[in-house]
Amino acid sequence: MAPLSTTYGSSPALLLNTAPASSTGEESSNVSNVVVHPIVLLSVLDHHTRRQEGAGRVIGTLLGRRDGETVEITNCFAVPHAERGDEVAIGKDFNRQMLALHLRANKLETVVGWYATALPDETAEGKFKFIADTSSLIHEFYASECEDDPIHLVVDTSLVNDAMELRAYKSTSVTVKNDVLANIFNEIRLSVKSSESEKICIDKMIAGNTPAGAAASQDENEALKLSMEKLLEMLETASTYVDSVLSDKITPDETIGRDIFESLNSIPRIRPEVFDKMFNDSLQDLLMVTYLSNVTKTQLSISEKLNASLGK
Amino acid sequence: MAAVIETNAPVTSVKLEGLAALKIIKHCKESLPTMVTGSLLGLMIEDGVLEITHAFPFPEPLDDKGDVVKSAEDAANADDEAAALEGHEFQLEMMKMLREVNVDNNCVGWYQSMYLGSYSTPNLLDSQLSYQTDLSPNAVVILYDPMQTAHGNLVLKCYRLTDEAVRLRQNGKNNFINPRNIFQEVPVTLSNPGLVRSLLRDMGDGLHDGGAAPMDGTTFDRLDLSTNPYLEKHLEFLCSWVDDLAAEQYKFQHFTRNLRANAGGDRKGRKAKEEMAQAIEEGWARNDAPKRMESLLMSNQIRTYCDQVEKFTGEGFGKLFLTSGLHKDDEKRAAA
Repeated sequence: MAPLSTTYGSSPALLLNTAPASSTGEESSNVSNVVVHPIVLLSVLDHHTRRQEGAGRVIGTLLGRRDGETVEITNCFAVPHAERGDEVAIGKDFNRQMLALHLRANKLETVVGWYATALPDETAEGKFKFIADTSSLIHEFYASECEDDPIHLVVDTSLVNDAMELRAYKSTSVTVKNDVLANIFNEIRLSVKSSESEKICIDKMIAGNTPAGAAASQDENEALKLSMEKLLEMLETASTYVDSVLSDKITPDETIGRDIFESLNSIPRIRPEVFDKMFNDSLQDLLMVTYLSNVTKTQLSISEKLNASLGK
Repeated sequence: MAAVIETNAPVTSVKLEGLAALKIIKHCKESLPTMVTGSLLGLMIEDGVLEITHAFPFPEPLDDKGDVVKSAEDAANADDEAAALEGHEFQLEMMKMLREVNVDNNCVGWYQSMYLGSYSTPNLLDSQLSYQTDLSPNAVVILYDPMQTAHGNLVLKCYRLTDEAVRLRQNGKNNFINPRNIFQEVPVTLSNPGLVRSLLRDMGDGLHDGGAAPMDGTTFDRLDLSTNPYLEKHLEFLCSWVDDLAAEQYKFQHFTRNLRANAGGDRKGRKAKEEMAQAIEEGWARNDAPKRMESLLMSNQIRTYCDQVEKFTGEGFGKLFLTSGLHKDDEKRAAA
């Protein structure tokens, strides 16, 4: 917790780690949920990896959409900045120009906040601070850029706890008799979500990390086998749960029971003749298309031969 | 590093960083149903590996540009000359800004979204040719298919023109080239730096979900059995492309028949035959001879469609027989 005495050029930042209580009526923004896309995180890490020598942390602008209580962060770009002690210099022109360039390609995004990586703490060796005193200055700058209250995203790259922490904050000012003394950064719930195609790409990358997964991503049959094994595992888990409830080992939970019931009901019960017909139809379609494509390929080679012999 | 680094080794494989891949995917998906293009930044490392670290989209062309521009060097929309100027300036601005934050700003190629695997068009050929001649012989084009990237497959391919194709285009002759040798596919691997890999591990373990569904949601999409829409689309495309190819072939027939008639097909004797053969050859070198390249590109594309469909039906057979096996099991168990 920073002391309340004001130092030149910055207003101290207080960090509150507890999840916020329900928003009080006087707050102007009622954001309670932040969703971030993986591309933003990868971009932040990339920027951090490429930072200048001697820079403790990097900052950048977050772009996205605000939807009532949820803010969705879909894109970001890096902004050059320098900070020393209590002073901060931000590339304002760069920010404006880069924003204009980005908006050319994607008109729907607006500035929703800013990101930063964790700052190494000079006082405690090996510790990293998420919010620094200079953060509130930067936050004020972004408050002027963004329509609503800006969101502050912090990515911890120090990997101190063997995990990469992501935190989202929003800031409110602490005033005593209309004198702004400090800014409080409240943590907001953050989750990583992505669209289907992004998910596919991320899965491929996650799979590429382990050798078994990498083999699977190359070979279709392997991947199919993995999917089926996973499905079988899940079915077995559900069935052991039901068995243990029936033999009175576990107290039954109604919601789980109802979920299992619904998912089992969603499987269509097909009579064997109907299934056979469907199967034969699909099979015939596939066979016909294979035949057609073979015929087309033969025709293609003939036409290529003809094309080659023209002019001779 | 603003200059393009010239290396002698031709590019044999491409390492695509996750960030660039996600950017390409995001841009193409958001701009559906229009097809879009953008630029690739990266570096050529030794052993013929091209590393792509960044990508940014080209803007949509502004409507009110009245200037005519002379060079379409970096124009991905080769048909709209005003957009070319925008694109070029935009690209320079973007690269300058990225330089300030230490991003590699070597342009090493471009990317385009493709519709169901259609890439073999004269436009793409021309654009790639201009990249390969003006920028670097190792320029590549990355094609991403937002339609086919479903059911757990990521369809992201990388192509470049073969030397043979480049030479042929630069000669301007109307010669034949085997359609398989026009484009050369370069294998793509997804790679990531260390910090990103640790983030991916965390995401894979479900640490950042905020209580939502786990990230391995795509493993079950693969088990989908519906085949019809995919097949129908492909057959539709095949029909129209085969029609176009037939039209092209007819043009050839027509032209050859004219040539033969003009060269006087009635004369007999060996000398007359030689003269006629020569006249025919010259006829093909004329400027108004129908271009062979179009029909070659078409047959390349038709072959690609056939390959895609065959791959799909192969998998479809497997899944279908698996399902029928399960069903027969159920029947037997129900009967027993």
